[in-house]
Amino acid sequence: MARTLAMFTDTSLCIGCRACQVACKQWNELGMEVPEWTGTYQNHEHFTDKTFRLVRFIEEPKPTGDLAWLLMSDVCKHCAQAGCLDACPTGAIYRTEYGTVNISQDVCNGCRYCVSSCPFGVVAFNESTGTATKCTFCNDRIHNGLGPACAKACPTESIQFGFRDDLVAKAQKRVETLKAMGFKDAQLYGADAKGFLGGLNAFFLLLSRPGTYHLPENPKLPQRNVVVDSLLSIGSALIVGLGALLAFRDRGKGRDDA
Amino acid sequence: MLKTPGWEMMIVWYFFLGGIAGGAYFTAAIADNFGGARDRQVARAGYVLSLPLVMACGVLLIADLGVPTRFLNMLRVLKFWDPMSIGAWVVGAFGMFSFVSSVLSFSTSARTDALRRKIGLVGIFFGFFLASYTGVLLSSSAQPFWSEARLMGALFLASGASTGMAAISLILFLTGASAGEGWGKVKKADRYSMVFELCVLAIFLALLGSAATPLTSGHFAPLFWGGLVGVGLIVPLLLDLVGHRVKTLAALSALLVLAGGFVLRYVVLMSIQS
Repeated sequence: MARTLAMFTDTSLCIGCRACQVACKQWNELGMEVPEWTGTYQNHEHFTDKTFRLVRFIEEPKPTGDLAWLLMSDVCKHCAQAGCLDACPTGAIYRTEYGTVNISQDVCNGCRYCVSSCPFGVVAFNESTGTATKCTFCNDRIHNGLGPACAKACPTESIQFGFRDDLVAKAQKRVETLKAMGFKDAQLYGADAKGFLGGLNAFFLLLSRPGTYHLPENPKLPQRNVVVDSLLSIGSALIVGLGALLAFRDRGKGRDDA
Repeated sequence: MLKTPGWEMMIVWYFFLGGIAGGAYFTAAIADNFGGARDRQVARAGYVLSLPLVMACGVLLIADLGVPTRFLNMLRVLKFWDPMSIGAWVVGAFGMFSFVSSVLSFSTSARTDALRRKIGLVGIFFGFFLASYTGVLLSSSAQPFWSEARLMGALFLASGASTGMAAISLILFLTGASAGEGWGKVKKADRYSMVFELCVLAIFLALLGSAATPLTSGHFAPLFWGGLVGVGLIVPLLLDLVGHRVKTLAALSALLVLAGGFVLRYVVLMSIQS
């Protein structure tokens, strides 16, 4: 496997221009959508089959009573342990040599299990093609030496693309700088390969708790439940089977006490 | 900000019918192998019922994909840790067991009877699997309500048993075969399953805690408490207790159990998807 590629989104640099969201739409030929009223400048509320990059506009109350803008360009995390990939029954969802997670549109059969298995609610179902879609890290671009369209378009380098190990080191330094500047809650989200989901290949620098950005504090791999629930189902089967056995066993006397 | 998969009525029906098919088959196989000669009617009713149901299951699953031929994409891989993948294979395998057992349930020779019993003993595992894997499938999604109790498979299995047995008893009643000993036994097994289902449901709700709110409060709560717990489990148990000598009441109880099994799948799927 080649060196893992990653995107580092430093939300402290985001100015909410949405160049990334537009670049993503243009390059990936994602169609127009009916806008939604979200109460802020944000549109849409969440990822859709036509929105793979989404700038979140979050208003956080300050102690002074004012609101502070928290801007965050959100995207598929390309998890090292990906719930969508494990859920896919056709093998349509696969990991590339760069560590990213893609959905092969020719193989996807539209079962939508991946949609319900993404801990971040990223994967979306496209009603017109009948397949699941999401960010590909611009698979075509990165295989031709170009960065993803969003990273390329970002005017403030809030979105950086490169080798994961390089970016993590850079991100850690940036957190220290921000903390020294007084941003007490500055933290990395998904940078730690030993942390949740084996680390995210699109990781973030946040200025507040993950929950503020509508991110789960401790996302878990859905498939962790398969073994436990299967064992409990076997237990259930044993009890039900035993009940039926007791009811049906032939006592040889033809006694009917039902 | 999770997304739900949009598994609506076709999948509700699939979960419901798959549960009955699995439950009816393993009940039939147990009656066939461990019951007396007079339980043969139960075995035949269960085997033969499971066949059209599993066929309907296949049709529902394929129809839900939108493009039917894409079902074949499932057959490219077999992922042991993935309930959806292994489930697709088991629906097919169960269908074969169901077909062979149904055909052999009309046999008149002792040799084919023995063969059918042996096949039933293997098929029983596929029956249990079909009735429960849909719950495990929900457990291994990102939705807290579906996954946090890790008991959805056990609950669906208990419900598959109670509805499968109810369906068998209803068939015996409708075909005039309720005079035999088998009827009393399948009703008794059904009562055991219902009591067990109530226990699993209670533990399920306790384990879920606040994640159970889509079920226990809000828009779907009346349907859950009234339709499943009340009409679908407690009322049939009371009907059986009070009137188990009156066959019409016992048949009514079976009908209510079936309705309760449908309500279970409906509220579990739809309460977080609408």
